Formats: sequence, structure tokens, C-alpha cells
Amino acid sequence: MCWVCEKYGNKGEKWYLNPENYARRLYKVRKEGKEAAGSDADPQSAGMGAGVVAELVKARISGNLEWEEEIKREALEHAYQTHFGQVVTLDEYLQILDIAYPLAKMTCGCRRVQRGMPDDENFTCMGIGPGMYKWERWPETYRGGVEFVTPEEAKEWALMNHKEGRVQTVDVFGTPYIGGLCQCEYPGCVAVRNRIDYDFKFLLKGHTVAKVDREKCTGCKSCLGRCQFKALNLEVYTSKAYVDMDQCFGCGLCVTACPTNAIELFDRENMPGLAENW
Amino acid sequence: MIAEIGIDYNLCKDPLGCRKCLSVCPSVIFVCGPTKIWKGRETDPSEYRIAGRYFDKCSGCGDCVKVCPTGAIKVEFLPREQLAQQFRIERAAQLKERNS
Ligand code: SF4
Ligand code: SF4
Ligand code: SF4
Ligand code: SF4
Ligand code: SF4
Repeated sequence: MCWVCEKYGNKGEKWYLNPENYARRLYKVRKEGKEAAGSDADPQSAGMGAGVVAELVKARISGNLEWEEEIKREALEHAYQTHFGQVVTLDEYLQILDIAYPLAKMTCGCRRVQRGMPDDENFTCMGIGPGMYKWERWPETYRGGVEFVTPEEAKEWALMNHKEGRVQTVDVFGTPYIGGLCQCEYPGCVAVRNRIDYDFKFLLKGHTVAKVDREKCTGCKSCLGRCQFKALNLEVYTSKAYVDMDQCFGCGLCVTACPTNAIELFDRENMPGLAENW
Repeated sequence: MIAEIGIDYNLCKDPLGCRKCLSVCPSVIFVCGPTKIWKGRETDPSEYRIAGRYFDKCSGCGDCVKVCPTGAIKVEFLPREQLAQQFRIERAAQLKERNS
């Protein structure tokens, strides 16, 4: 169990399977006036959890570790109380689609920010909860509009996304309320990218870890290319898949690509060496 | 060396409409974000801005400069130590202000 489960899980249940964390009644109505007149935004902060990245880059270049740690500590303290994400497995994602309501497909902010993808080619985010009824009020947030879907449609879409190779995550908007289900990748997703490139833990690892059964692996390479976290490659000299378990986020994308079931997801908490590695 | 990426916003007026640099960069260095958020309407295209947020990862390949139709992008390289020194001074000023 990660710290979020300890705080917001229901008796040993994972926090994102606890219906209470979807039960936000109404988003706080933001103060009129300021936004109506147009409030300032920092283009450098665009994308999921990117507010301090420009600063992190400077700390990195200056080689000042203490500065870098301070930026992360302060930013994450705030993020964990307001807005962060965690990787979930496909099974968990499907379970969530039975808990969360309403469900609406919307454009992915990160890929707009980093690749300028037009909204109509980029409906890869799923917004959930009463906030979805507010898209007309905040058209910039919901650029391109929203498309409400039934749980069945959402599941079909989730399966398609998994097949295509997108990592699935839950995203909190006002801890502990989950307001988004994302389909992400490196480097298109700002949260994934900042975690991999700058070790900025806005995005937490999932509750599982993939392990290769070296007896079963035939070296067919079908799993290669599935990992968005730089945790998977081929051990060429033995011709077996290699998962860096320390680096694995437990998304399960490699698992479903394997024709011989040679990769399996294990509970992180049952791996003493990885149990605290979020 | 580290890239210094400059964008001339007098030349780059509709970055989301153009988005050529965002799309071409092999290292995904650029981001494009709004400078304003409005209630009840989307941000004007002219209020979007390109920034080289991940400039520490720029290879200097020059593709963005080549592809930019308005000539708005400038990529120059500085010695890492020179930039490091500049950022250390910024940090020192920040700490000084905090402690005063
Ligand atoms: S789907 Fe992923 S990449 Fe897109 S907005 Fe959500 S977190 Fe960002
Ligand atoms: S190794 Fe497999 S489970 Fe782990 S992060 Fe990569 S694709 Fe996901
Ligand atoms: S897909 Fe399965 S059998 Fe093929 S290389 Fe990967 S782990 Fe091994
Ligand atoms: S020079 Fe190449 S790597 Fe650097 S920003 Fe331009 S396109 Fe990207
Ligand atoms: S290619 Fe040039 S004009 Fe086009 S968005 Fe980039 S900087 Fe602006």
C-alpha cells in the first residue's frame, strides 16, 4: 500500500477503488471576476504537473542537488495535497469505470502542449465526475469540448488504448478526488516525462511490478517497444526479455503483449526490495 | 554545451495553428501554453506562446530553425559552466531574499 492508500483507502482497499474518492459533490465555484477578465497563466507551466519544471532544469544545469531536492520537496508537498497521478493496471482501470460517473472523453492537454496535436486527433483523456458538466464554462480547460460515454463505451475505449500501448493512470484534482483517467506515454505525457527525465514524482508508480519468467520467455521480442518507462529491453546475450524491476511502473503493457505469458505482474508490497519504491 | 533557445513573439503569432517546431523536434524540447485563461471562452490563438522548456536536452540539430516559416527561432549554444554559474547566482539571490 502506498501512502495514498493509507490515507484514503477503505480498509486495506486501494485508494482509487474507494468510491468515496469519486464522490465529490461539486467543484468549488471559482471566484468570479478575475478569471472572467482573463487571468494570467505561465506558458512554461503548461501540462500535467509542470509548474516547477523550468526551475528544475536550471537546478539540474547548475549541478546544485540541494536546490533540486528543495524544488521537488516543496512542489510535491503541495501536489500531493491537490493534484497528482498514479499508474494503474488495465484491470483496475476497468473496475474504476464501474465506480466513476459521469465519464467523458476529452482532449489530452499534455500532447497539445508538447506536440501541438489538434484537439480532434487527440481525444485520449477521460474526465470524470461532476466537473465534466462545466466544460462550457471553462472552454479552455476542456478545449475541443467533451464527449460523454457510457461505462461500456468507456471500457471498449480503454481496451483499445491499452492495446495501442498507452499507460493508464488516475489523476487527482483536489486530493483525494479523482477527476481524470489518462492514457499516457513517454515523452508525450508531461507527467511521465518529468518523472523519467527529472525524477519528479508527480506521477507515482503503480501497485504492481512486472517480472519475467526466464524459463517461459522464448525471446520472441513481442513485448519490446511496449514499455513507456525505459524499463524493458532484450538481454541479447541470453535472448530473453529483461525488465528493470526497480524502474518498472507496473502498467502491465508488456504483460498483455506476451504470447507465452512469460511476464507477470506481482504486488509491489510483496517485494521487500521494491515495496517502498513509489 | 547547453542550448539557449530564443523565440521572437513578434514573428510567431499563432503557434498552435502553425505548431511546426513542436511537431518536428526530435527531442520534444518545445512546449506551447496559454498566457491567459478566460472564463466562458477559449484563449485567443495569439495568447499562446512557444517556449523551449526542455532546452537542457536540445541536441542542436537545427530542425526547428529550418522548419519555422517565420524565422522566429534562434538556437545558440553556451558553455555549460557559464550557464551553471548564471543559475547559481540566481539561486543565491533567491536564498538571500528569502533570508532577509
Ligand atoms: S492523457 Fe496523459 S498525457 Fe494526456 S493530459 Fe492526461 S496525463 Fe497528460
Ligand atoms: S516493464 Fe512492463 S509493466 Fe513495467 S513499466 Fe514497462 S511495460 Fe509497464
Ligand atoms: S513477449 Fe514474452 S516470450 Fe516474447 S520476448 Fe517478451 S517476455 Fe519473452
Ligand atoms: S535544435 Fe533540434 S533538438 Fe534543439 S530544439 Fe531545435 S529541433 Fe529540437
Ligand atoms: S515553427 Fe516558428 S512560427 Fe511556427 S510555432 Fe514554431 S516558432 Fe512559431
